[in-house]
Amino acid sequence: MMKEKSMRWRSQVWREFRRNKPALISLYVISIAIILAVLAPVLANERPLYIKIFGQHFYPAFTFSKTYFVKTPEGLQQLNLNAVDWKLLPKEKVIWAPIPYSPGKGDYNNANFISPFAPQKFMDRGNLVEMPNRFRHWLGTGSRGNDLLAGLIHGARISLTIGIISMSIAGLIGIVIGLFAGFLGDDKVSTTRVRMIMTLIGIFFAWFYAFQLRGESLHDGLKGSSGGFLWQFLISLLLFILIILLFSFLGKWMGKFPGLKRKITVPVDSLLSRFTEVVVSLPILLLIITIAAFSKPSLTSVMIIIGLTNWTGIARLTRAEMLRVREMEYIQAARALGFSSWRIMFRHALPNALAPALIAISVGVANAILIESSLSFIGVGVPSTVETWGSLISSGRENFSAWWMVTFPGLCILVTVLSLNLIGEGLRDALDPKLRK
Amino acid sequence: MLKYLLRRILFFIPTLIIITLLAFVISASAPGDPVSQILRTSESAEAFSGSGTAQHQQEQLWIHRLGLDLPLFYFSVTPSSFPDTLYRIYNKKEKSAVKSLLMKYGNTQTVESFHSSVKEYQQTVSQSFADSAEQMQFSKQVIAAYVNQSAYIGSQLLAASDPDFIANKIQQAKALTAKYPFLQEAHAAANKMEENFNAMEATSERWKNFIPSIHFYGNNQYHRWLFGDGNWLTGKGAVNSKGLIRGDFGISLVTQMPVSTVIWKRIGWSLLFTFLSVILAYLISIPIGVRAAAKHGSFFDRASSVTLFFLHSMPAFWVATLLLVVFANPDVLPWFPASGVKPASGYPEAASFIQKIQITIPYLILPLIAYTYSSLAFLSRLTRTSMLEVLHQDYIKTARAKGLSERRVIWHHAYRNALLPLITVFANILPAAIGGAVIIESIFTIPGMGLETYQAIQRQDYPMIVGVFTLTGVLTMIGYLLADVMYAIADPRISFSNK
Repeated sequence: MMKEKSMRWRSQVWREFRRNKPALISLYVISIAIILAVLAPVLANERPLYIKIFGQHFYPAFTFSKTYFVKTPEGLQQLNLNAVDWKLLPKEKVIWAPIPYSPGKGDYNNANFISPFAPQKFMDRGNLVEMPNRFRHWLGTGSRGNDLLAGLIHGARISLTIGIISMSIAGLIGIVIGLFAGFLGDDKVSTTRVRMIMTLIGIFFAWFYAFQLRGESLHDGLKGSSGGFLWQFLISLLLFILIILLFSFLGKWMGKFPGLKRKITVPVDSLLSRFTEVVVSLPILLLIITIAAFSKPSLTSVMIIIGLTNWTGIARLTRAEMLRVREMEYIQAARALGFSSWRIMFRHALPNALAPALIAISVGVANAILIESSLSFIGVGVPSTVETWGSLISSGRENFSAWWMVTFPGLCILVTVLSLNLIGEGLRDALDPKLRK
Repeated sequence: MLKYLLRRILFFIPTLIIITLLAFVISASAPGDPVSQILRTSESAEAFSGSGTAQHQQEQLWIHRLGLDLPLFYFSVTPSSFPDTLYRIYNKKEKSAVKSLLMKYGNTQTVESFHSSVKEYQQTVSQSFADSAEQMQFSKQVIAAYVNQSAYIGSQLLAASDPDFIANKIQQAKALTAKYPFLQEAHAAANKMEENFNAMEATSERWKNFIPSIHFYGNNQYHRWLFGDGNWLTGKGAVNSKGLIRGDFGISLVTQMPVSTVIWKRIGWSLLFTFLSVILAYLISIPIGVRAAAKHGSFFDRASSVTLFFLHSMPAFWVATLLLVVFANPDVLPWFPASGVKPASGYPEAASFIQKIQITIPYLILPLIAYTYSSLAFLSRLTRTSMLEVLHQDYIKTARAKGLSERRVIWHHAYRNALLPLITVFANILPAAIGGAVIIESIFTIPGMGLETYQAIQRQDYPMIVGVFTLTGVLTMIGYLLADVMYAIADPRISFSNK
């Protein structure tokens, strides 16, 4: 019964959304962008998808190994996949990627900003000849002869990854904070004073054992691979939660004794709302620039910084929606059935309050992409070896006549951000019951 | 009203503390070593670079001047085996080596005495070069080579935390120093080192690590940064730092000039652009938004909505670059100068003030457009939404029913209420404009605070970046405070409902 109803609601929203043509087109555009981003290594790669050398078959675009051993008439030869010029390599058969260039790799025959319409050169068996269409730089090249189209496709991958992952972080923080603030309010959490104090002591000890004592392992993880750090961090987090729970239960048990029974109410909503207000009033863009300037340039840290600073809108919307949802009758019914408040909160209230968060997240992804491109434009945060839309525009400033370097990446940002904003707008209209009438 | 104001100001204080804490944490976690950065760039270092001791003195001097010889914060929570004087070790590698030894053995005393014996070894080795001057049977090169080699082992030992590695290096030091009479004292020190190392290995008290202990420090880096090194309230007796509350942001690592001097010199242009652009944005966007809402669904409404939506989705740096490529490009339209705020050769000598302004204006137009346009889109959309909301309310229907003209209804009844949200976003726009200034000023090379920040980022001048961040944070807070007070004055419901 519930299920059927929610299906109906979902299909109703979808029908509403579909009627909004700009939003629907935007959805298609973003889907195409995501497909391009996922397939980027196959679409634009200087390594061939398939190559046949001396009767042996290789699939260089799909391998992680750095070298190939090729049997030649002169004996076994080593082939360095990163250094070899595939276009000059003698081969019997080859299938190139649709765009046979990798992002950021120079093409010395077409260096120094070659326009998409200008004649391009190609090295064929030692002679410089006119560029065959198969190897054309369709959108021109940058200062080192780097192919713009390849840069754009791989840039989409970076922008979308940063946008989606950073907003997943922000969404998680924002939804949890909004959920607690909105659902628990200022009066729903009351506990004995001793339990409160024990929990606070527990937080101190948990922090000490989970993060201070394990600091060295965390640090080692950070220095090694990022996967190692994630694993160490998860262990710490688990330890942190376990210790707090331990102290909290101890406090609960202590609260049974006479003399320790005094109750207090925790104003969850006020505390969380004040905290959100503080974060809102920070100069976020400058904060991100500052932190990014201080930390080692890496895509991961850019994602984390953007995620940790952009959750306030989501939290506020979720809170407002929760304030509405918690007064609804089915929540009271769930209470009357004796469900625990955790269960009511996550299983019954949250799914109904997710819609506004969804709108904020889709606009937030657009915002994160704008921030990321601004950061890489001024050369902060994103490593300088990685080509992104922002850094491509920035490199176009070296040469004002290279209009393609400024125009195309900018258009990519515009189309992506515009589509995400339109999807957000469409969602808002589809979800708002006031407008549906 | 008074009560509301007081509450608001009370809320202002924790936010300020959080901003300063954030800025402090960021600056304390800056990569690299500020002292060596200063010594690398300052000219005085070059004069001393010849002799090791003079450089060491210079280093100590700067460590003291920057307050880096103080503990970081008012308190620290550490495992109980950590001594409360750990902060005195300045070198980061050395400090982390001592920390991990403490984590491994847990015995404060033995670890400390091992560490000090390594330091002592290091000192005797460097002294032995001076002492050996009399022993002429060895050539200077031989002595230097052996002293350097022994000293290198010492520096490796200072940064080491792996027991096997340490034991190995101690044996090397012993073998090396046993050979020559001029290293006799160093050999004794090496023996002492081995003794202490064995004592440390023998008495492991790891359980001490599992007990947390809190140390409190009255005088610390954060306190010094906030209040200076004199009296915290009056600022009397301050030598090296007057403190943030008296406008001292520290010194630039590159130029060694006070950060505040640089900021005050540069802030003028940024403020000019920020205020001009915000005023311009309000002046343009309010009529657009009101008109679009009043003629809801009309061609004007739809056209302006679409245009503004486009503008809203364009990154500011792209628009700025496009403006440059199109309007400041000799190949396309050479209408405006491309960079700076005045001719590269300076103003003509005879130019009066008015003439100077006339010369400068063309330089300002493109940056001003870039500054203005993003808040323009945001503001117009906001005006339209809030106006639409107001127009649906009952009192507007009443006003219409009374037979008032549409013009009067919109501009007299609806408009004032629709303006309320615009007051609050004023505080939103200001910090965004300052953050955006970093990007736009670097594109147009406007000599403002943003360009200074951009250059500071490239030169890794961390105190400068943190100074700008702190100042912007405080300005933002004041902006929010003002906006809230203005809102409360404009809308009495706010201060009533918040009682």
